[in-house]
Amino acid sequence: MPLDDLIAPNAVLPALKVNGKKQALQELAAKAAELTGGNERAILEVLIQREKLGSTAVGNGIAIPHGKLPNLPHLFGIFARLGRPIDFEALDGQPVDLVCLLLAPEGAGADHLKALARIARLLRGQDVAKTLREAEDGEAIYAILSASPVTDPQPPQQAA
Amino acid sequence: MAALEIVNLTVLLGAVIVLAGILSSLVALRFGAPLLLIFLLIGVFAGESGPGGIKFNDVGIAFTVGSIALALILFDGGLRTRFQAFKNVLAPAGLLATVGVLVTAALVAPVAFFALDLSWTESLLVGAVIGSTDAAAVFFLIHTRGLRLRPRIAATLEVESGTNDPFAIFLTIILVEILAQGHGSWGEAAAELSVRALVGLALGLLGGQAVVGVMNRLGLPQGLHAPFVATAALVIFAATEATHGSGYLAAYVAGMIVGNRPTRAHNAIITFLDAVTWLAQIVMFVILGLLVWPERLLSSLVPALFVAFALTFIARPAAVFLCLWPFRYAWREKIFISWVGLRGAVGIFLASIPLLVGMPKAYIYFDVAFVVVLVSLLVQGWTLTPAARRLQVALPRSDAAPQRVELDLPGQTTHELVGYAVGANSLFLRRHVLPTWAKLALLVRDERVLSPLEGGAVRENDYVYFLAPLEKARALDRFFVDMPAPSAPDARLLGGFQVSADVTLGALAEIYGLSISEEDATLPLAEWFDQQFDDTPTEGDRLPLGAIEVVADRVVDGKVVTVGLDLADEPETPPGPLTWSGRLRAAVKPLISGLGLG
Repeated sequence: MPLDDLIAPNAVLPALKVNGKKQALQELAAKAAELTGGNERAILEVLIQREKLGSTAVGNGIAIPHGKLPNLPHLFGIFARLGRPIDFEALDGQPVDLVCLLLAPEGAGADHLKALARIARLLRGQDVAKTLREAEDGEAIYAILSASPVTDPQPPQQAA
Repeated sequence: MAALEIVNLTVLLGAVIVLAGILSSLVALRFGAPLLLIFLLIGVFAGESGPGGIKFNDVGIAFTVGSIALALILFDGGLRTRFQAFKNVLAPAGLLATVGVLVTAALVAPVAFFALDLSWTESLLVGAVIGSTDAAAVFFLIHTRGLRLRPRIAATLEVESGTNDPFAIFLTIILVEILAQGHGSWGEAAAELSVRALVGLALGLLGGQAVVGVMNRLGLPQGLHAPFVATAALVIFAATEATHGSGYLAAYVAGMIVGNRPTRAHNAIITFLDAVTWLAQIVMFVILGLLVWPERLLSSLVPALFVAFALTFIARPAAVFLCLWPFRYAWREKIFISWVGLRGAVGIFLASIPLLVGMPKAYIYFDVAFVVVLVSLLVQGWTLTPAARRLQVALPRSDAAPQRVELDLPGQTTHELVGYAVGANSLFLRRHVLPTWAKLALLVRDERVLSPLEGGAVRENDYVYFLAPLEKARALDRFFVDMPAPSAPDARLLGGFQVSADVTLGALAEIYGLSISEEDATLPLAEWFDQQFDDTPTEGDRLPLGAIEVVADRVVDGKVVTVGLDLADEPETPPGPLTWSGRLRAAVKPLISGLGLG
């Protein structure tokens, strides 16, 4: 299942320039606040709170910071490709360059979990990450995110 | 003929008293009164100044019976102590059992000195007599109350109370010797103490090994395994005492060896010794109760209460906080361990040694010890459960343990048959997961015994019997707990998110909107894993938590360090590929991604 219900075309950042994990979270929070009309500080706070439990980097250069926010109308995601990989305190030690933020409304419960699982499944496919890294611009990235069948991690047409 | 009459009468009286003790357990369970207290009071009532009017003042018999009972109780304690638990708390519990007893005795001594008008050595003897935490009392009370303590606290108390009796016994005997014969320096006493400990340890180890070896090699008739072990325990005890070692320590150590090594008829031994311990407990308390002379008790009541107060509120907490200071225990845990410093039969038993030896003022020790034990059982015994809840060291007992049937398989000693009824909500039926070491041997359905092949898939209300290694059998319990089904669809492992095991359940529940019980909210994941698994958790162990599952990701020294979160998957994904090609792909996929990661 594609992620186009979670991530809008304007929520794709093809070349975000940040120097570290903290700045990445700040930039994502700022973008999320801009797009949802939420409070930037509150969003950042939620993300940092979650990172305190353990890094949301899932290995392979991918991180999925997430959190729960009151007053959010629906599940909301941002995808960012970083200009330069940063340390995200990943357990596998690899620097992270693909970040997918997910914010869930208070009480989203199972939907929140399912959305996270979907994002994780999509990004963990080896070739998906590779094609995302090689994609030319935001539009290409969005096309991958909204088209990739999650059940098959190897999209045939991008095998080259 | 008169002699015969007396014998019959004695047997009748003795049996009736013991019977009263056994029946009183019902009363105790119903009213929550400390059972041991009731045994003691039955002894008092049956005695000279009670309605029973039995004249009993043979300290020799009391001491002999007490020694036998104590040796068996300690052996049984060892039998139940698992190496794993023992290893983890050896340092703190060992310190409590030695230095702790010494500190307790030393801090009680000044109070005894002033309150009882004794010499310093005599005061120290008072301290030594009541210095040890009573294993039997602690575990009797905890078990009869149905308390489930956090594993580390339970293990600490278990090992401490199991090993400190021998130490308190040395200390008492040495002080009595010094008082009686006036010989010896403190250095000499310390040297003797270490010799006794070493001899006790060595003979206990040897004896335990010998028991295991003999039992596994000799084909004893079925019913005789357990009596053999019990009697062997007494032989080890007495032989060690005869060679100037600590027989009590030897009994405990031997018990631990037998309990942790694969043996024949393991379950029969455990059951038998459980019964023996009950009986030993009742007999010991009743006899000690018989020795009490309540009129005389009154004269030393007030000073004895002072001693009890000092012990409970100053000496024991000081000893606990001092000994546990180098280790990471929460203050709540230390307070609880202090409070559970229950005194029991060992104290009264030790106090009968001066009587036995015929020391001057010997009855003072006995009376003081009696009052202290009484107060301890009454006050601490009765408040044990609220204290555990208040201090948050008890576990919620929500997961009533499933009924487990264990069957020995003669011919070998490593495996046994473990049986369970399959409940609709058991983890086994919901997930079809089982440790690899457990093998389904047979199942019973609609009163018919079937082989796994005949039976096919296990259904609700089946009875299943697994072949499992002896020491791991208990770990199967959790698969058959009848837990309510989770609210979300089955989760499949995605891996990915990992959190530190220090994170509390509440924090996770907050972020992911999981429903958990309020009691669990403050619990760190590591401790939760500890609680949920009888054995130490291993990597890959998973537990349902609200709508998700948590997986022990990294385990170091038996402690979970990091925990993976397994989130709910899309419901439309089939639970597993059914075609051969699908299965092949599923099998190869992790290999490929694994290679890619490396």
